[in-house]
Amino acid sequence: MTRVLGWLAALALLAGLGMAFAVAPREATQGTVQRIMYVHVPSVWVAYCAFVVVFVASIAYLATRAEAADRLAHASAEVGVLFTGLTIATGSIWGKPTWGTWWTWDARLTSVAVLFVMYVGYLLLRGMIDEGERAARYAAVLGVVAALNIPLVHFSVLWWRTLHQPPSLMKPGPSSMPPVIVRALLVNFAAFALLYLYFVAKRVRLLRLEGEAGA
Amino acid sequence: MGDNWGFVLAAYALAAIVLTGYWRHLVRRERELNAPVAGHPPGAPPRQQ
Repeated sequence: MTRVLGWLAALALLAGLGMAFAVAPREATQGTVQRIMYVHVPSVWVAYCAFVVVFVASIAYLATRAEAADRLAHASAEVGVLFTGLTIATGSIWGKPTWGTWWTWDARLTSVAVLFVMYVGYLLLRGMIDEGERAARYAAVLGVVAALNIPLVHFSVLWWRTLHQPPSLMKPGPSSMPPVIVRALLVNFAAFALLYLYFVAKRVRLLRLEGEAGA
Repeated sequence: MGDNWGFVLAAYALAAIVLTGYWRHLVRRERELNAPVAGHPPGAPPRQQ
């Protein structure tokens, strides 16, 4: 099953590349550099989803003490950190030609950086505590608290004056983007979501094997 | 605004390196954990020291 998911993700990523470079048109204002959006935006959407999974799995762990919930939270946090890092890096590469700077302490960029640091902290916390049950419990509390930052990140561009553009899709009202660009974006999101599912399924299995090996 | 293909390629190359690297890391780790330890068949209970 996991292998099928991996192949599906790989095929979807190829389709996403085709949509980004062959189907989606050159954007009139920014030019070709706007194609970075097809990596940058799906990355952050998948990161949001990953951290929502951490939130739900952490609550499930605190309520039931089920090890499966803890493994899911751990795996999802790790993959979420990966996609958040990718979001920050691709955003920085996009920022240089459009804003003239790699980084600025604007509300969106700063809140994403805080989100990244919080989940890196989550992973470090897990690694620092030897006792498995205590590590899982502390991490679950942090997994619930850190999720409060997700709406802050998303709405930061609406609540404060920022250099970062406001959301084009996940906002009230119709999309301001042409349908062909929306389609390319959604295909890439589907590809990244499949990749997320594959990574999490594999990581959960590894955590179980590591637990058995260490038992 | 110019086309800035270099920035586009840098972003996609970075994404490819990061995602492929993590993918390979997971596959390698799984292979390590599934590999039988000498004199200790997979699935057998851990031996006492």
